[in-house]
Amino acid sequence: MAESEELLSAWSASAPPEDRAWEATVPGPSLAAVAARMASVPRSFLDARVSIAALAGDVLRPRLLAVSHEDDDRVRRGAAVGLWLVASEDLVEPFAPSVAAAPGIGRAVDALALRLSPVVDPWEWLSDDERREEAVRTFLLWAGLRPAGEDVTTARSLLEARDSLRRNAALAQAYAAHRHRDEIARRLAEARAKEAAARYSSE
Amino acid sequence: MSDPDDSLALAEYTPGSAAVLTDAERWPTMDAAGAARLDRWRRHPAAPDWVHATGDRLTAEMVERTRRPLPTDGWLEEHLGAARNLLAYRGLGDLAALTDFPPITRQHLVDDLAAFVPLDADLDRMLHGTSSGSTGAALLIPDDVEEVARGFHLMVSLVRAQGIDWSPDGERFAVASVVFQRQAFTYVSLVSGFAHRAMARLNLDTGAWRRPGDRVAFLRDADPQVISGHPTSLAELLQPELRGVLRPLALFSGAMALSGPLRADLEEAYGCPVFDVYGLHETRPIAVRTDDGPFRVLDRRVHVEVLDAEGTVVPEGEVGEITVTAGENPLLPLVRYRTGDTGRLVRFADGGIGIADLEGRENTVFLAADGRRIPCVDLTQQLQTHGARGWSIEQAADGSIDARIVGGDADAVERVLSALLGRGVDVRRYERLIELGEGKPRRYRSAAG
Repeated sequence: MAESEELLSAWSASAPPEDRAWEATVPGPSLAAVAARMASVPRSFLDARVSIAALAGDVLRPRLLAVSHEDDDRVRRGAAVGLWLVASEDLVEPFAPSVAAAPGIGRAVDALALRLSPVVDPWEWLSDDERREEAVRTFLLWAGLRPAGEDVTTARSLLEARDSLRRNAALAQAYAAHRHRDEIARRLAEARAKEAAARYSSE
Repeated sequence: MSDPDDSLALAEYTPGSAAVLTDAERWPTMDAAGAARLDRWRRHPAAPDWVHATGDRLTAEMVERTRRPLPTDGWLEEHLGAARNLLAYRGLGDLAALTDFPPITRQHLVDDLAAFVPLDADLDRMLHGTSSGSTGAALLIPDDVEEVARGFHLMVSLVRAQGIDWSPDGERFAVASVVFQRQAFTYVSLVSGFAHRAMARLNLDTGAWRRPGDRVAFLRDADPQVISGHPTSLAELLQPELRGVLRPLALFSGAMALSGPLRADLEEAYGCPVFDVYGLHETRPIAVRTDDGPFRVLDRRVHVEVLDAEGTVVPEGEVGEITVTAGENPLLPLVRYRTGDTGRLVRFADGGIGIADLEGRENTVFLAADGRRIPCVDLTQQLQTHGARGWSIEQAADGSIDARIVGGDADAVERVLSALLGRGVDVRRYERLIELGEGKPRRYRSAAG
């Protein structure tokens, strides 16, 4: 668990609050289309000898946070699955709309690698339909998309219902603590907060 | 103030650098009359160059809510219940009673502030507070919009309890919050819960005004009903030119120890009460007095204990460290916060609790080589900007300085302290606070100022 918590902590420090991520989503491709594509990830992408840094360099412009953690097999596999979804738009056919062109595409790959892999091994995304749906929904959210035909409330409740982290009380509590600390730091650093309020006396 | 050749200029004091909101966000209930008032003071011919813009951010609902103090019935139990859920106390067992909680210090907040902020706190109400004179993020404190507004109404109720009618009066400023330091945030604001009357934070340092005479001209027009500050800035009010134009209903002193003679001089000069408020930014106001007797602990969400060095409660009347459980700021519910100040608890005849022999609030003035008097807050700003976590700055009677800092950039500190004091200063740097010896981590002494 120590490694899992460390990965979740790295994710937490880099990710904006979930509320804001949901507010920013726009309609994306269908859940079924992305899930089917994920299930068809080529074995070559999951090969332990594949360097995520090199693969990401070929496929993606944004730098991945996951690259710093690719010595963890789960992270490497999780990132590879995400990079497959991006690369497949050239190799198979583009999603409608494109995920590769989504504003948060780098963060979406990191979300698979650092937010979900530590909780559910990517092999399970491929073998279990419900876990795959969780992975697709996670990917779309952080890309800035929500499944076609779903509004924010629906999409959010469907992902939350599938969130595997909730079933791991100790890890969930640790993750909540990281999110809280990161959120306080972020809020205090925001210019809105820095403007402060008029004060009436000295302390 | 933004002079690039000025080695002591701090970037955040460049006019407007920290102001980002619109006026409608600063004062959501402001009407046309309020806007005109604000505009008038912003453009007043004798106004200083305002360094900052900030409001109270209160919606109509918040204005109403903050007029009343938070209820105190059963608050401590509720407070401890909230505290048990803080990350800081995870895994510490039952913590059934107040005394089961381990006392905490400022360093706990520096190390892991978020662990003391409730997980379910309304972070939309969170503001960036720093203790007075601080820059460089030595300790950020999450201020609560409503708690800050209640602070104004606390002042009103204290003044009215003395039989003084403090109500909106024409165009008079409700409050002037005065500082006396080289660089300061200054701004003009409106008090939404006080008929949108103006208030301002002003720097009494004559260097903060555009022309000689502006300081007096502005204060004459503003005619503040109440003036708040700390002893160094309030002492400036004794200048004859200011005495001649000000007619406050009351004065408030905070942050540092107010000496009996200074209080007496201020009372004589203005014929009004001088409230000496004891409180820390972290805890909010704790106790107040208007004479040289004990401070009276305020009837609000605050509970005071006195502890010995081991953290054990000492019997009433014995001297120890003032330790405060503070529940006014919902974003920072403190339990058993060691203030670093010492004193003893006493009982008033009416059963109220008092703090006697309070010691520890810094009010040190240094003497520069050219005779200027430099308040310690100026040193604090520079020390924190250059990363010092603690320090001991002592000035001997001959003016020479013994400076020791913990952490930070010793070369930079040496440079700025030498510039500030106009004399060579040697700085010794240490790694650990304990190397300064027992006691407060930030200390000043001057036998010359």
